[in-house]
Amino acid sequence: MSQLLRQHAEQLFAHELEELKKQDNDKRPANWVLSPQSVVTYLIGGKLKNGFQVSPKYIGNRRLMEIAVATLTTDRALLLYGLPGTAKSWVSEHLAAGVSGDSTLIIQGTAGTSEESVRYGWNYARLIAEGPSAGALVETPVMRAMKDGKIVRLEELTRIGADVQDTLITILSEKTLPVPELNMEVQAIKGFNIIATANNRDKGVNELSSALKRRFNTVILPLPDSIEEEIDIVRRRVESFEKVMELPVEPPALQEIRRIVTIFRELRSGVTLDGKTKIKMPTGTLSTAEAISVVNSGLSMAAYFGDGTLKAADVAASIIGSVIKDPVQDKLVWQEYLETVVKTRSDWSDIYRACRDL
Amino acid sequence: MAINILGIRHHGPGSARNVKAFLESVKPDIVLVEGPPEADAMLQWVGHADLKPPVALLCYQPDNPQCSVFYPFADFSPEWQAILYARKQNIHVRFMDLPAGNQMLIEKEQREQKEEDISVNRDKINLEAQSYEHLNKAPISYLSDAAGFTDDEKWWEHTFEYRLNNDEVFDAVAEAMQALRESIPQKDKKLEQLREAYMRRSIRQTEKEMFHTIAVICGAWHVPALQNKASQKDDNELLKGLPKVKIECTWIPWTFSRLSFYSGYGAGINSPGWYNHVWHHKHDDGTLWMAHVAQLFRKQQMDTSVAHVIEAVRLAESLASLRGLPKVGLEELNEATLSVLCNGESILLKLVHDELIVGHQIGEVPVEIPKPPLQLDIEKQQKKLRLPATADFKDYTLDLRKDTDLERSIFLHRLTLLGIQWGRQQHVAGKGTFKEQWRLQWDPGYSVEIIERGNLGNTVLEASANSVLNQAKEATDLKVISDLLEKSIPAELPEAIQMLIHRLNNLAAASADVIELMEVVPGLITVARYGNVRKTDATIVLSIISSIITRICISLPNACVAIDDDAAQQLLGLFYKLNDGINLMQEPDTTLSWQQTLQIIAGNKNTSPVVCGYSIRLLNDSKLLTANQLMQYFGYTMSAATAPVISAAWLEGFLKGSGTLLLLDEHQWQVIDNWVSGLSDDIFMQVLPLLRRTFANFSSPERRKLGEKVRTGGTAGQQRPTVIINFDTERAKQGLPVIMELLGLTINNSE
Repeated sequence: MSQLLRQHAEQLFAHELEELKKQDNDKRPANWVLSPQSVVTYLIGGKLKNGFQVSPKYIGNRRLMEIAVATLTTDRALLLYGLPGTAKSWVSEHLAAGVSGDSTLIIQGTAGTSEESVRYGWNYARLIAEGPSAGALVETPVMRAMKDGKIVRLEELTRIGADVQDTLITILSEKTLPVPELNMEVQAIKGFNIIATANNRDKGVNELSSALKRRFNTVILPLPDSIEEEIDIVRRRVESFEKVMELPVEPPALQEIRRIVTIFRELRSGVTLDGKTKIKMPTGTLSTAEAISVVNSGLSMAAYFGDGTLKAADVAASIIGSVIKDPVQDKLVWQEYLETVVKTRSDWSDIYRACRDL
Repeated sequence: MAINILGIRHHGPGSARNVKAFLESVKPDIVLVEGPPEADAMLQWVGHADLKPPVALLCYQPDNPQCSVFYPFADFSPEWQAILYARKQNIHVRFMDLPAGNQMLIEKEQREQKEEDISVNRDKINLEAQSYEHLNKAPISYLSDAAGFTDDEKWWEHTFEYRLNNDEVFDAVAEAMQALRESIPQKDKKLEQLREAYMRRSIRQTEKEMFHTIAVICGAWHVPALQNKASQKDDNELLKGLPKVKIECTWIPWTFSRLSFYSGYGAGINSPGWYNHVWHHKHDDGTLWMAHVAQLFRKQQMDTSVAHVIEAVRLAESLASLRGLPKVGLEELNEATLSVLCNGESILLKLVHDELIVGHQIGEVPVEIPKPPLQLDIEKQQKKLRLPATADFKDYTLDLRKDTDLERSIFLHRLTLLGIQWGRQQHVAGKGTFKEQWRLQWDPGYSVEIIERGNLGNTVLEASANSVLNQAKEATDLKVISDLLEKSIPAELPEAIQMLIHRLNNLAAASADVIELMEVVPGLITVARYGNVRKTDATIVLSIISSIITRICISLPNACVAIDDDAAQQLLGLFYKLNDGINLMQEPDTTLSWQQTLQIIAGNKNTSPVVCGYSIRLLNDSKLLTANQLMQYFGYTMSAATAPVISAAWLEGFLKGSGTLLLLDEHQWQVIDNWVSGLSDDIFMQVLPLLRRTFANFSSPERRKLGEKVRTGGTAGQQRPTVIINFDTERAKQGLPVIMELLGLTINNSE
């Protein structure tokens, strides 16, 4: 087992990518590691001709993944849009791994992301010593991706200031990055493209300019349709976490996951699953990703402080932590939910007691 | 001699193209088409310049037009193309299916067996064209599953409809269906067997007539059954003694939305607009389609550039190749539209669906086709009044002061009376009784209703008048008659109106129920008011109104005594409407007798307290009570001796719906304020719930303002008095002539 805390997608699933490459008979676009069909298989999972089982990375509508992959074969960039925790970054990482075999070219968008971190920067010591020269230039992931014909990922595009966002326009339309200081330019070679992610819940985002918007194809990633789908997502992700974290615990009982997902879904939709009782909604989003982290931290609690099996008491603290984002309002919402919904479910008494005791 | 059996999908554009190409190469001397033989005579019209698809063959039972079947055809229907070919080449063309007259009865029988214990109004059930249902869904999905498609429709489209190279396609279809029919256990379907037997018989008949090359166009599912030579004897045995009814046929215009699924007709296709596109532009790779989508979005003020279109087409192509499809289909185009043009939001796709994928096309039918006289008259009027029948809705605002608009309005009102809901009257924005807003949307189903109403008369005028007269004869309820009258006046049916008024008068005289009378009056007053704009004589209505009101005034006081709460509340509503109506009429005599009645009701100590309170309110509103009188009434009812329930009910009536009035009428406010402040604590506690009940009916802003007014001691909500500072009288005088002119008054200079 590797010493790394978290492996990149292409490292973790190297075996799958290798098998897919071997079995891949379809036409590959220039500088792609796999053919588009195989990339879709890599994301959605499936059985290869020789019987090799590819695990699903994205659980949901196959058509969305097909649109995403097809977009990358055209010269438009891809924008993954959706609520926080709907697997946008997850999908973009695996897309990059599937298409370029490299998911490491990434820029995290923040309000402070500057033009230098998108286009190129300068090594000032060398700049002063040698004057403007190619050696003094600091390449960004975008520039490297253009040179190598790879996918670059831009996380949280809408958090970047509008002026910096618009520097992408030339890169996306002319596929070139001019460096006027050196009187040169970097022209992208085939295979280069951008996958951006953005979420539509956050306040204070910078709306994309329409010039930039029309260089992106948008794919909206929805919340999971059914509770089964969501449980499946949580279970798979938690299992992969156990593998990474080497936790000495039993695999989590499906039942415990089901309860957590139920709590999250009910609070998110404002109504109990049977549709009979109305519930107040907390301020947070309560995404699938948060459900995953609740199970994960529960597993850690069980491994290090408990008896190794996941119990209600292990998850109670982190459920409360993820539901109560606003100490005043959300606390009331949570207490009401606890007393009116959780308490009445007879087989949930352990979780009720565990939450009450905290 | 050769028999060519061409298996097709109804309304499949690729099938249509194949059929056309095949017929042109084989050059048959007779074409047989799946369809009802009763309609053979109608086939001569195909090819007429004015018969423009989408159209449908309507087969109906003349004695019961609601029992009808539609056989729709679009440009891209293989059957249509086959008939068109035959007409152009001047060769024989015939329908060969089991006659509709048989099918209807058999289906009815089957349905009755199924639903024996469910009582359904059978006349209303439209017998739909079973023959036009899709290929049996379940069987064909075996093939699509084998090909790796999730949707059997898509599989068929990609395998047969979008294909450009069509060698031996009909052999392939026949073989596929043969395999299906052999390998899938079939349920015993009596109707299907009968139909196939009849089709075989029709083919045999044609053979006997010594035609050389016969082309047979039928649903793919039937091909093996027609190829298989069942014995003539068995077929004849099967078809012996079938029940039959007489059927008449005609062409009617059809619409694309009727061809699609969502209009509630099982016999349809999802995307007529898209099929039409595929039929007319077989080589389009999606560019033209996307250009249409872009145009549509631009019309809706959505910025859509050429670059968008280019990118969308590219994405659709990439998607098709990713999925291993030879040609871009509607799904790919929709997904590309969603991702490139709509930024992922699916709301705009709904627009594409309505406008392009389904479409608003409506067909046309030549005038010469024998049609029921009523239908002819309606078409004549539509042309004359320039109100074309359209598949999409269109709004008209009619100004009744103009002659054409008035005629249009009359025409639409008459159709409504006939029960043909082509136009729906809408709420008019703005003031004035001379405006009417109509929304017109033609539904091909009206053709059936028109035929059905044909027995009422040959023109719209005659038929609608008869319809009213028939209804009036049966009605014994005043309300029904007055409703009819209200609807007939704008439809200008003098004869019917005369009769209605006559009946109204008789019924009103005989009626002992004052409530019924009160219900009728407001509607009649509306009628009288309409009379002015519509140039109809309203005086006759007015005289009825005043006679009815007189009757009401006489019996109302007694009707307000000894009634329970619910009845009192109902009465209050009528009081309100009647009072409104009387104010509207502005007839001094009527107003006077009404006010006198109110006085009597208010003065009677046995009157139900709510009604009594409300009557006093109405009197007070018309300024017929002095301040002292009002105080007297008020104090009397509110005195301690009166049971709190009664005083509260009285107050409820008095204040009904008048939160704002209470705010603004200082006089009324003082009365109530004084009363409340004068209550001792324990009595106040006693009446509080009752007061609460009254005030709870006011809107919340009203309540808030009332509260503010109480807190500030009775000043909130009141207008500040105008303070006149340095008023220049001379200057004001100069403005007077203009104001007088604006108001239409003449200035009396002598004053």
